[in-house]
Amino acid sequence: MNNGQLREWYPFISPCDPCPPIRVKTYVVPPNQYIVYQPMGLQQFPIDEALFRGTLWPALFSPYQPGTGN
Amino acid sequence: MDEYQLQEDRSPSYAQHAAADFETYVKELEQLQKIDFVLVELTLYLDTHPTDMQAIQQYNQLAQKRRVMAEAFELKFGPLMSFGHSFSRYPWQWVQTPWPWQV
Repeated sequence: MNNGQLREWYPFISPCDPCPPIRVKTYVVPPNQYIVYQPMGLQQFPIDEALFRGTLWPALFSPYQPGTGN
Repeated sequence: MDEYQLQEDRSPSYAQHAAADFETYVKELEQLQKIDFVLVELTLYLDTHPTDMQAIQQYNQLAQKRRVMAEAFELKFGPLMSFGHSFSRYPWQWVQTPWPWQV
């Protein structure tokens, strides 16, 4: 779903923690983190699509699912 | 009395506007928003790539297209921007809703 942008992290679970543990935490690393300087002439989304994708360039697209925390 | 008359004149056109043209209003405003977003993206991109000729051409073409679309939109539905950046017909068009940001 997240084009491999979703990472998992297993936090330390303390036996003293009064709350039920969250064993796996997830986070998204968007593709711009790996692009130091955007190359010229990247392929673009059509104008009708860009607004809803949140970016003009597919290479920088990072999906977002409201309500799932991702 | 005059004011009341004015209200009378306005209401049928408003009702007509709300019923028949609202769909077109929403559609054309969305079209403008789509172009505006691409213009924002290209602006940010060009800030770091000032020599990308192709992007500059795309930017200028879109800006031109946006201007034409905004003009047509304003003629049909009223001003998009205030404080002198759009024109108004008589009577003052800002009295009439919806305003662009309410849609």
